[in-house]
Amino acid sequence: MILLDFERIWPSVPYIVGGIPVTLAYTGVSLCLGFVWGMLLALCKVSHIKFLKWSAGFYTSVFRGTPLLLQLTLIYHAIPQLTGYSISIWEAGILTFTLNSGAYVSEHIRAGINGVDKGQMEAALSLGIPYSLIMKDIILPQAIRIILPSLVNEAIDLVKESSLISVIGGADILRRAVIVSSEKYLYFEPLLIAGLLYYVLILILTFAAQLIEKKLKTT
Amino acid sequence: MIRLEKIHKSFGDHEVLKGITGHIPQGEVLAIIGPSGSGKSTLLRAINLLEVPTSGKVTIDGVCITEGRVDIGKIRSKVGMVFQQFNLFPHMTTLENVIYAPMKVKKLPEKEAVNLGKGLLAKVGLKDKANTYPPHLSGGQKQRAAIARALAMEPEAILFDEPTSALDPEVVKEVLNVIKDLAHTGITMVIVTHEMGFAREVADRVWFLDEGHLVEDSPSRTFFKAPQTKRAREFLEKVL
Repeated sequence: MILLDFERIWPSVPYIVGGIPVTLAYTGVSLCLGFVWGMLLALCKVSHIKFLKWSAGFYTSVFRGTPLLLQLTLIYHAIPQLTGYSISIWEAGILTFTLNSGAYVSEHIRAGINGVDKGQMEAALSLGIPYSLIMKDIILPQAIRIILPSLVNEAIDLVKESSLISVIGGADILRRAVIVSSEKYLYFEPLLIAGLLYYVLILILTFAAQLIEKKLKTT
Repeated sequence: MIRLEKIHKSFGDHEVLKGITGHIPQGEVLAIIGPSGSGKSTLLRAINLLEVPTSGKVTIDGVCITEGRVDIGKIRSKVGMVFQQFNLFPHMTTLENVIYAPMKVKKLPEKEAVNLGKGLLAKVGLKDKANTYPPHLSGGQKQRAAIARALAMEPEAILFDEPTSALDPEVVKEVLNVIKDLAHTGITMVIVTHEMGFAREVADRVWFLDEGHLVEDSPSRTFFKAPQTKRAREFLEKVL
């Protein structure tokens, strides 16, 4: 009995590898948009306006308190039903991952803002600098530095979570592996390759994170 | 220039300032002294509303800043502050620390701001540290840079919150000398300090605080020679 038969799926490997740019596109775009969205949410959370604070807190608790897969399928199926707009897989994926990642990122950024020494805000206030500039030029640059490692972790999570897009038909690494599986009636080998690809992607990200951390320590 | 009327400040149930009234004329050097926990720093921080008084009035240049709609940023840019922990912006060079507020708040063109900043750094003896980041400065250098940063806004008054308390003993003097050079140049100075020798030498007036009350308000010469109140006498006997 042959345990592994890579020969038969060998021709399909390029197809599975072709999922890497798809996975990276979902991850990269959602990460950037999620960062911007998370920043806005974090600013609401540290503001003195009770309504903004409460809304951002509630938003975060909903998105952290429900499964991502549920959010994804809900957005994919509910938006056409509610608005009549037929949302593409790509749009549904980016929207869901952005909204979800924003919730997590906002918590990191909020923690980072609170982690900046209180004296920084006081010194800036005492110079008469307006709040928006204090945030932009003095507090946030320091906060981002503090939370850079956790932002990289968020990126790593997102690479893995993006595989959920395969459930609604996005042709990412996982989805392609599954397609190959059902074509060849071989399950172990294609999934093993998919797993390896994810693992390598994340090793690279982890390595980058270590470099960043080292650099932050020396400066 | 600065007028305080019945300033009260509570943190929860704890009343730190219990009705302080006083006046600081333009150009005066005032030392606020007293035991730990007497409310000195809180009083100082109430002047630029880093602590908003629970009740009472703070008036600066005839503008009551504790009432109604006042552009507090504008007032704060006229009243500089120097902190115990320096609070320099660590991600900006020394020069950037000094010129940031003049450029962004006063909209000073960059070239003028750089000239101003370099001049001020030279004044506080940090000419060669313009491009150094604060984490690479010594405590004394940090505090002198912080003083230059406050001066860059050309304030009418500067509040010093225990400016030498976080410093190594051997650099206290270099910072005190910088502060001393500023005294009687027209700028109003309010200094919370534990350096009695310095207060005696530099201050025109002394406010002695104890348990949230302004116990004594005297010219510094009188205060250090013959304090009027028993509490101040006891304090001076202990610290001098």
